[in-house]
Amino acid sequence: MFRNNYDNDAVTFSPQGRIFQIEYSEEAVKQGSVVVGIASKKHVVLCAIKRNAEELSSYQKKLFAIDEHCGIAIAGLTSDARVLSNFMKQQALGHRLTYGRAMPVASLVDEIGTKAQINTQMYGKRPYGVGLLVAGVDEDGTHLFEFKPSGMTEELVGCAIGARSQMARTYLEKNIDAFADASKEELIKHGLQALHETLVQDKELTIDNTAVGVTGFKEGSKNKAEPFKLYEAAEVKQWLDAISESKEGNEGEGMDVDE
Amino acid sequence: MTSIGTGYDLLNSIFSPDGRNFQVEYAVKAVENGGTSIGIRAKDGVVLAVEKIIGSKLLKPGANKRIATVDEHAGVVYSGMVPDGRHFVDRARDEAQSWRQTLKTPIPTSELASRMGSYLQAYTMYGSVRPFGITAIVGGVDGSGDEVIDGVVGSGPSTGAGGKVDGKHGGPFLYVIEPSGQYWGYYGAATGKGRQAAKAELEKLDLAAGNITLEQAVKEAAKIIYNAHKDNKDKDFELEMSWISGVDGPTGGRHMEVPQELKEEAERLARAEDESDDEEDEKKDEKMEE
Amino acid sequence: MDHRPQAWGRPRDDVYGAYDHSFMNTNSHPNQHTQQPLVTGTSVLAVKYKDGVVIAADNLGSYGSFARFTDVKRLHTFQDTSVVGFSGDISDMQYITRHLHQKSIEESYASSSANKKSRLSAANLHTYLSKMLYRRRSKMDPLWNHMLVVGFDDDEKPFVGSADLLGTTFTAPTLATGIGSMLAQPLLRTYAGTDEEAAERTKEEAIKVIQECMKVLFYRDARSQETYSLAVVSREGVEMKTSEKLENMSWAFADRIKGYGTQTV
Repeated sequence: MFRNNYDNDAVTFSPQGRIFQIEYSEEAVKQGSVVVGIASKKHVVLCAIKRNAEELSSYQKKLFAIDEHCGIAIAGLTSDARVLSNFMKQQALGHRLTYGRAMPVASLVDEIGTKAQINTQMYGKRPYGVGLLVAGVDEDGTHLFEFKPSGMTEELVGCAIGARSQMARTYLEKNIDAFADASKEELIKHGLQALHETLVQDKELTIDNTAVGVTGFKEGSKNKAEPFKLYEAAEVKQWLDAISESKEGNEGEGMDVDE
Repeated sequence: MTSIGTGYDLLNSIFSPDGRNFQVEYAVKAVENGGTSIGIRAKDGVVLAVEKIIGSKLLKPGANKRIATVDEHAGVVYSGMVPDGRHFVDRARDEAQSWRQTLKTPIPTSELASRMGSYLQAYTMYGSVRPFGITAIVGGVDGSGDEVIDGVVGSGPSTGAGGKVDGKHGGPFLYVIEPSGQYWGYYGAATGKGRQAAKAELEKLDLAAGNITLEQAVKEAAKIIYNAHKDNKDKDFELEMSWISGVDGPTGGRHMEVPQELKEEAERLARAEDESDDEEDEKKDEKMEE
Repeated sequence: MDHRPQAWGRPRDDVYGAYDHSFMNTNSHPNQHTQQPLVTGTSVLAVKYKDGVVIAADNLGSYGSFARFTDVKRLHTFQDTSVVGFSGDISDMQYITRHLHQKSIEESYASSSANKKSRLSAANLHTYLSKMLYRRRSKMDPLWNHMLVVGFDDDEKPFVGSADLLGTTFTAPTLATGIGSMLAQPLLRTYAGTDEEAAERTKEEAIKVIQECMKVLFYRDARSQETYSLAVVSREGVEMKTSEKLENMSWAFADRIKGYGTQTV
């Protein structure tokens, strides 16, 4: 039934010091549809491909606002993500109430990291089956974090998780130098380009299956957050048009487009 | 490995017929793959350093800190599973806080190590948990003078307070805590992938003699991490260092990141040494060929 | 002799009469928490000026009308960016400062780099303390203090906030607690009635008006003292002096005061 004796639960080390249940939970993240995040000095964007179960069903949401200054993108088990996002909302709101300020993004991410780690060290629990990208701004600037089921959290300038996300990460690595000073619009376009890289043949980004979330600093302000805003449906059309134009414009410039 | 297939290694907290807890031994394996961490107990303070392997180009440079502050005067670095390390740090902070709450004084480093040793030991005792996949290095400088408690209220007698014992008090301390819960005090400690090379270098310093100053220790720490990274050269890494001096030293008794200037200087020296070593190696190779 | 275990350790019924069980019954009398402060500190004063805030409080801990402790430091620095000045109960002050110390350690977890300033601003600290005070008063077990929190707000502008044992909060360009709110506050308002006026005042002017007010308070407040602490919070940090002395006091007016105490003429 099992691949080996060491993968029944999260409290058993393999002889090599691995914990297979944690590794398997990270596979669950790869089953989810892809999400991309990029941070510049002024903004952080999250871009996602949404899936629908069947033709007539709605698309599963992938991006969620946590607080004014912070939002997440999810890949993996959506119901696990809801547990984490509810927790994050409570933490962020509680912080606002007691201190009168937005919760620092790093502290928020640490909290879910700690919560997830506990599930990897106790019998009868299972690791979360979801990965998150957390985008936010605070006094220290813009932030993009990746959260993994193991409880690992890392801060990055760009990241992609979910199905075929390696393609997106390759795109991000190639263009990494352009991000820091990119405008909000440019950042979104990079995000959508990266998403586009992950598509299988005869799939396209459409206004139905694409979502974009943005937070950042208000124009000309060092510390005032622009509330996390979600763009869906017709709102993303402008950017989809823009990237398909630019693709037609300079074919083969680091982007192999399936057409 | 003889343990495999016997079944005695499938559950934490059970002994094999020859008296071993295999799950603890496997946890140690998780540590041995982690980036190298070291600690140096100098005569006037403690230095902690870690080699952070850069797994992805997309990681934000300098952002993902691995050395943690536990209390004003104490810090922790660890090798192995990072989320387990965070758990360790959270618990260490709780211990330090509860000590402060009951005794109104910072926790002695030895006590912190002891409590964390007990905590890790508890995770080897039950089938319902697994051991920590980390080895932690705990450093601290215990205060040598009187602490101001709750601010100053009334002067009290100026001499002869509360049965103070003559002699040396406080000073720098360094401990290593293993997944089994075992812990020892060290002058120089290393764990993680490059521990063998690092230990060899630490032994050359003759730390027990107490001649190395904190600032020298920072430079040595950088060199040792650069040296330990040699066997892992195909991967990039970032050096992170922290230090704690006594109250009259550069950090004022606090655990802090090593200041940028000093860190850069230490890294410059470490790189210079690295290159000269390489040249020597090449020369040796040439001779061999001859 | 009654040998039943229930009777062990109790006065003998045959000698002292039946045991009064209501003594241990908590429902028979109301649960009581703090009803009054014991050792107390008097007024705290604070004013904004263009680059920061000046705050002062004397070093006296009174036990009723008895000048019990003469070197109590009632101004506490938080992370070299804010100062909290306490009036009211001294032991509650100690409890709160211990708590704040722990908070500042927690803040240092996030970043231990030496060049990084606190990210919990005075305004954040003021919110936090007021929630703590309100929570305690809602449990009918108040922390018996009125404090001023000074430093900077999130926009890096000078900040002076008040929080008291009821959880009441407000901010103003100048503030005073205790009897200082009656004797000193009117004088402070002549120094700066609005934020705009405070933004034109210099550090020297601010210190001067505080010194004048401390004098007025020492003339009239019977729970005050000559030595006091004075702190200047600026963007460079906190400059704390804990043994200032009031200067150029004159008690010549005293013998002309009539109508108090035992005087008959």
